[in-house]
Amino acid sequence: MWNAEARLAYALVLPALLLLAALMLYPIAYVFQMSLFRTDKLGRLQEFVGAANFVEHLSDRAFWQIALRSLYWTLLGVVVKTLLGMAAAVLLNVRFPGRHVARLLLIIPWASAVPISALIWEWVYHAEFGLLNHTLRATGLWANPPVWLGYPLPAFAATLWVDIWIGIPFMALVFLAGMQSIPGELYESAAIDGASAVQRFWFITLPGIRHIILIATMLSSLWTFNDFNSIYILTRGGPAGATDILITAIYKSGFEWLKFSRAAVMAVVTFLILTGVSIIYARAYFRTERA
Amino acid sequence: MGKRLVITSLSSIALLCAGTAAAFATAQSETAKTDVTFFWALYDGLTEEYRAELQDAFNAAHDDVEVEIVPIQWGQMHDRLTTALAGGQPPEISVIGTRWLLEFMALDAVEEVTQYVGAETIGNIAAGAMEAQVGGRLMGLPIAAGARILAYNPNLTSVVPQTMEELRAEARRVTAATDAYGLIMPGKKSTELTDFAYYLLAAGGDFFETLPDGSYGRSTVNSPAGVKALEFMVTLTNEDQVVQEGYLALDRTESHPIFYSGNAAYVFIGAWVESAMNQAGADFQAQYAQIPGFDGQPSTPLIITDSVAMFSDTNLEAAGTFLDFFYQDQWKARFDELVGFPPVTVSAGKLPQFQSPLYQALGEAAVNAKGWPLMDGFAEYTDLIWDAVQKAHLGQMTPKEALDEAAARIDELRGT
Repeated sequence: MWNAEARLAYALVLPALLLLAALMLYPIAYVFQMSLFRTDKLGRLQEFVGAANFVEHLSDRAFWQIALRSLYWTLLGVVVKTLLGMAAAVLLNVRFPGRHVARLLLIIPWASAVPISALIWEWVYHAEFGLLNHTLRATGLWANPPVWLGYPLPAFAATLWVDIWIGIPFMALVFLAGMQSIPGELYESAAIDGASAVQRFWFITLPGIRHIILIATMLSSLWTFNDFNSIYILTRGGPAGATDILITAIYKSGFEWLKFSRAAVMAVVTFLILTGVSIIYARAYFRTERA
Repeated sequence: MGKRLVITSLSSIALLCAGTAAAFATAQSETAKTDVTFFWALYDGLTEEYRAELQDAFNAAHDDVEVEIVPIQWGQMHDRLTTALAGGQPPEISVIGTRWLLEFMALDAVEEVTQYVGAETIGNIAAGAMEAQVGGRLMGLPIAAGARILAYNPNLTSVVPQTMEELRAEARRVTAATDAYGLIMPGKKSTELTDFAYYLLAAGGDFFETLPDGSYGRSTVNSPAGVKALEFMVTLTNEDQVVQEGYLALDRTESHPIFYSGNAAYVFIGAWVESAMNQAGADFQAQYAQIPGFDGQPSTPLIITDSVAMFSDTNLEAAGTFLDFFYQDQWKARFDELVGFPPVTVSAGKLPQFQSPLYQALGEAAVNAKGWPLMDGFAEYTDLIWDAVQKAHLGQMTPKEALDEAAARIDELRGT
């Protein structure tokens, strides 16, 4: 087992592991440490205060509002991305002329830089010059469309849609890859037995890609929870805090207001939430794998 | 298999080392010059061509210094700078809002500019522009200083309002009589709280009480003047509906183009108005007046000053050489012309291009203007007041309730 080749492999991997430890584990540990200290405006540790930072910030009602908003932002985002991604994957799995072009076009939102996508959407949503409201009015679909980024509910929906729009291609491509690994004979047999398209999807496709769904939704949960760019560029967390989630609040506390202890407390809470989500997913994944 | 793997791996490592060594050697030969990094704010009207020309001209004239002018959106400047400071990699020089200076001084992050900038350069700066003089020490050179004014479109109105009430009446008339908006009001949260400040100062209010020793006391945003200002803003947006559609979704850079396109009668704006309108291809000549006070109150515009501060504790001699170069009329006066701010240097102030009606209006505005409170933590208080303004506009709270909440939170944070 521990032969020369394995030793060489470990030796070759070691620099990357050390780099990873320096760039990821050390900052994580430092944030944990920072959350237990009073810091100055550059984030330098000043005085150990134990859990006092947690007591202070976790007793703030605004913090829980933001945390709760982060959760339903993530839940809604992942559910919609999964459903639309699945629908796109099913469509792209059908043989039709131009299928390759369609697959290529689908990747564009995911391949584009997120800040650029968000900036484009900012102009699409613009109340005066925006493409969306102009189209809605011109086509008669909506005579008085909302000012998307100006009011709490439309702003939340509009920013969430940008996150979803960017995330759909990943889901679709991963699901599509899974669907293509399912043997075609299964579908042929089911068709001979008289199974409808819905039944084939339900009883063959979904069970066939359940591992992939678990992995993809887990990754999507982590990314959606931490989607800073869409919100910050479109609304900066406004109007009146309606689109603030934990990641934007961390940024504002840390880098706008230079309150690094508070930012660290929120970062630790975020870390714990996401670790919890990952553990739940991992357990579900291994349980289905064993089954 | 094993032997081939070892040979391949070792060859890869050898190649990697060779490449790194070559890159390092190249970098070493290039770093014979003293590097100076300048965080450069992208003011409205400032062009990339100018930035590149300035950088190239300085570097060509100085064999021993390599300056890199890093363009940064104004709204991101504070964050970029604090991130760089927190990471221990500050630029040698940076544009800052002068109101941030105390924050950076508290961190012991800024250097006194008189140590590095030539006496001739400093002597050419108008004494009244030296806002960055703290405790007798000059901690930054003024780069842009300008009071805000009222610009109006003469194709839509000829009324120069003397009071806010007159402004409202005329904005209503324009909105009713034309397809244009009466007034531009940015309502999206951004770094600056300028629009609420215009109305607050016009109502005779201020952000904080000033104690006898000159320090700041409790927040006064919820004073009768503050409440009157916000009630007036909400009336303009929700009742009169004279401001641009979607005002809560638009910041300054997104809403001012509506004025430039000729679709609004009035806008409270800064000195960049002419150059921004030229760049936007505006087909009318804006006229300028003072931002009026409310009935019975004098005109009290907001004045904003930005400075160039020195951060890093190395290479500052070279940075000073660059600032001496930049503050020559050939460059600084052109910068002023592009961004539209009145010149801060005595020599540029005498140039013919700065004698126009715009500069006259700016000069008049500066007489009674008030600046931001120079205090630590103002960025967070600004955010709280922004939330209050937005809650009032959204009808989530009355203006008084929203401002009471903000003032209480600000006082709590400041411990006053």
